[in-house]
Amino acid sequence: MRRRISVLASTTVVAALLATAVVTAGTVSSASADDDKGRAKNVIYLLGDGMGRTHVTAARERYYGASGKLTMETLPAQGYVSTYAVEKGSGQPGEADFRPNAVTDSASAATAWSSGVKTYNAALGVDAKGAVVPTMMELAKKSGYRTGNVSTAEVTDATPAGQMSHALARGCQGPVYSDAACQDITVTGAALPTSDVRVTPIADQIARNGTADVILGGGLGRFDAADETALKGHGYSVLGSIATQTTATKTDLAAAAGQKVFGLFNKGNLTIEKSKSERPTSAEAQEPSLPEMTSKAIELLSQKKAEGEKSDKGKGFYLQVEGALIDKRSHANDAAQTLAEVKAFDDAVAIAQDFAKRDGNTLVIVTADHECAGFNIIEKGTFTNAEAATPPANTDSGNTANNSTPSRPSNARDAARSTGIINGAGAADPKNFGPATFRTPTDPAGVVDGSPEAGLWLSYLSGNHTGADVPVYAAGPGADQLQGTVDNIALFGIVGRALRVIG
Amino acid sequence: MKPRTPRAIALVAIAAVLIVGGGAYALAASGASGSSGGSISAGAARTTFPGLVAPSGQPELESIGKAHPRPGEVVQAAGPFDDRFLLENLAFDGAAVSGAVRVTSDVSAVLDLEVVAGFYDDTGALLGTGRFVHHLVDDGSHSVAPEELVTFTIAVPSGIAVPAVSVALGVPVLVNE
Repeated sequence: MRRRISVLASTTVVAALLATAVVTAGTVSSASADDDKGRAKNVIYLLGDGMGRTHVTAARERYYGASGKLTMETLPAQGYVSTYAVEKGSGQPGEADFRPNAVTDSASAATAWSSGVKTYNAALGVDAKGAVVPTMMELAKKSGYRTGNVSTAEVTDATPAGQMSHALARGCQGPVYSDAACQDITVTGAALPTSDVRVTPIADQIARNGTADVILGGGLGRFDAADETALKGHGYSVLGSIATQTTATKTDLAAAAGQKVFGLFNKGNLTIEKSKSERPTSAEAQEPSLPEMTSKAIELLSQKKAEGEKSDKGKGFYLQVEGALIDKRSHANDAAQTLAEVKAFDDAVAIAQDFAKRDGNTLVIVTADHECAGFNIIEKGTFTNAEAATPPANTDSGNTANNSTPSRPSNARDAARSTGIINGAGAADPKNFGPATFRTPTDPAGVVDGSPEAGLWLSYLSGNHTGADVPVYAAGPGADQLQGTVDNIALFGIVGRALRVIG
Repeated sequence: MKPRTPRAIALVAIAAVLIVGGGAYALAASGASGSSGGSISAGAARTTFPGLVAPSGQPELESIGKAHPRPGEVVQAAGPFDDRFLLENLAFDGAAVSGAVRVTSDVSAVLDLEVVAGFYDDTGALLGTGRFVHHLVDDGSHSVAPEELVTFTIAVPSGIAVPAVSVALGVPVLVNE
């Protein structure tokens, strides 16, 4: 059954695209005749990959103290976003064949807010049956907005790619095509022709589709000389050199100008802030930070067109900014690196919000795609992972109403599930990753990171994503729609209406 | 009832496309409208790239063809991701080359990995290639810890008349997070 549906999806997508275009033609132009009440001229969408509620709280306590606030926490509209994915072949919520998956990956989540559909983990710009769905950045571009995509990951990675590509599998990043990385016959029923966009390496797509005017991040190794030729043919100013695999630097970025800029500052993901601050003379320290890339992207996207060029008729811009390394260092259960990345991300939020205040007509949304690693703050001096040592009993001889079934009559370790305590003995031992301890601004002088006296004790549940809802903060026109709890596909509609690219 | 006119037939055809095609594509759009209450313009998606040659075959490395390892050697051939992994425990017994790829950056999962092996005669001439392919299927379970080390074995391709005496290994595909 799944296969039959998938074949139908893959063979009808072109006709469906045409059909839907017929139905919705004029949506944008008719909307432009409406009054502009509630419309944002610009939207800046900032995404902390893997940033759950506790990541925010821990970074606040680490850098500003328990009574302080991160910039994102000062935005007036605040709520939560549910993030679940669906299985391959699933219908959308409310459909008879809807089959949810409680924990999303970054690809499915990116497709949710970029295209407004639930899809399977690993899918980008396609729904759960493999059909191409347009992205918000494509819609904004088509409607005349300037567009930007900034990330500390490879720009072919899931979050930036979710706006700029359509792929059955997130592993199809490039520089070359491979059957294993690009095809998914459980979705399509049979291998697609290699000319199909859904199996075209993401780097090839980004270099040729012109979806984002400003592209800043990592991933130079995903692109080749032909991509550089294609980018230049589309009018991009390419920083560094793709052909010679010469990464761009923050000096190149500072000097960049023009309407279309493509700059990659590492062959892979960008370097974590903690490492750069500890090795300021290293080559990696010449990479721009996320706040620096955000500032430059806003500068490039908000500039007036040069004299003599055709007027842009007052259209604004749509910019996505990803703090990707929050997730990657959470996977590694490294709290020190993770918190430094949250801080850098929040500094980027501050730059976006400063622009929005000056501009007066910019919607700023700050959220995450999913939580990573079950990050948590535990009471000072307490233990973690009860399963590993002494799980609490759930029977109570003094009040049998408290008894549960099946029972754990004692807190003896279950040898079938646990080998016992695995952490080192000392809080400063780098192997002792749980809990990791950090001094906070209100700790007494002399208290240092890694000591038992430090005020912030952090722990992890796992090394993978969790299904927890994530926070959302917003300011500007339409931000009130994010007060409360929304699902991640609703973000598509909120941004789309703010930009008037959906009816 | 009036007989169907060509225009009516055309409308029926459009409706059919909407019903059939929309079943796959517009369903996705309804997800958007379900959350947004709006309709979207599908034509925004760029799905063709004039001038981009569709790939054929499996990924290869130019450096495999240029390598001329000496008898007994197992060497690394240059590829686009050489700064992201180390080759370890390499061994060649004349029938197969084995070893491991240790991914050194940002490992929570190795999503895709391909290792290409070139096999050479005693003059360093390339006899043929073999391939190891790793693709992580995300079935929602993570029953094992993230693994930085992926072991591989690649057999000398059959049909080679001359004994293979050396190997060059390269990685054209690597995706990890």
